[in-house]
Amino acid sequence: MDKEQTLEKLKEIVKPYIKDQEGFENLTEETDFITDLKINSANLVDIILDIEDAFGIAIDNQSMEKMLNIKAALDIIEVKLAEK
Amino acid sequence: MIGNDIIDIALTKTESNWKRRGFLDKIFTESERLMILESENPEIMVWSFWSQKEAAYKIVNRQTKIRIYNPIQFECSFKAAFNGIHSGKVVFQHTIYHTLTEINTEFIHTIAANDEENLQKAHELQSDENITKEVGIPLFTNPHNGQVKPVSISHHGRFRKTITF
Repeated sequence: MDKEQTLEKLKEIVKPYIKDQEGFENLTEETDFITDLKINSANLVDIILDIEDAFGIAIDNQSMEKMLNIKAALDIIEVKLAEK
Repeated sequence: MIGNDIIDIALTKTESNWKRRGFLDKIFTESERLMILESENPEIMVWSFWSQKEAAYKIVNRQTKIRIYNPIQFECSFKAAFNGIHSGKVVFQHTIYHTLTEINTEFIHTIAANDEENLQKAHELQSDENITKEVGIPLFTNPHNGQVKPVSISHHGRFRKTITF
């Protein structure tokens, strides 16, 4: 899976939780889940669980700590997929 | 320093499913999970702990300027309850944050402070008057004595709470 495909899959996962449509339409790697997409912090757990299911990976607490924006999520997915 | 967090209970029912597989394991410690599962009302325990964690995180974030998503490292407990107000604490990296959590049928609201004295002084502001936002932390200027204090604002669903100390 290349980065474009990973990003598309990630966007599909994130979409149900966003509270800021404009932020989602202008999404870049720098987009922040909480400040830009206004995602409720309790829903970040859902995003992490959805990523685990969709990519068949396990996200440990240390990786979870950084899961605040698109770039961090992409990096973690990439690392965990490579470890598989 | 202080921090607060409000949760609209009705909104959690549509926004979150705390019973989904893995949810509790990701954000709660083993002892918290035990307290949740043994509680008469697990759902309220889930969101009370969550609001404690968020309120304490706000203090840590304000003091360190570091943003991090590590709710499991904020270990919560309750000490006592009086008139629907539960006093408790949150331990993060060996530091204790004291909390007061108001629980009713509509909302859960936690105020956290880095020491008991600030927690005793914490109170709600009914309007945004005299609040200014410089970089990051909003500040309240007391119109009577000119004292400037940090403010913490939380909103969720139907509710919004502004506190200072």
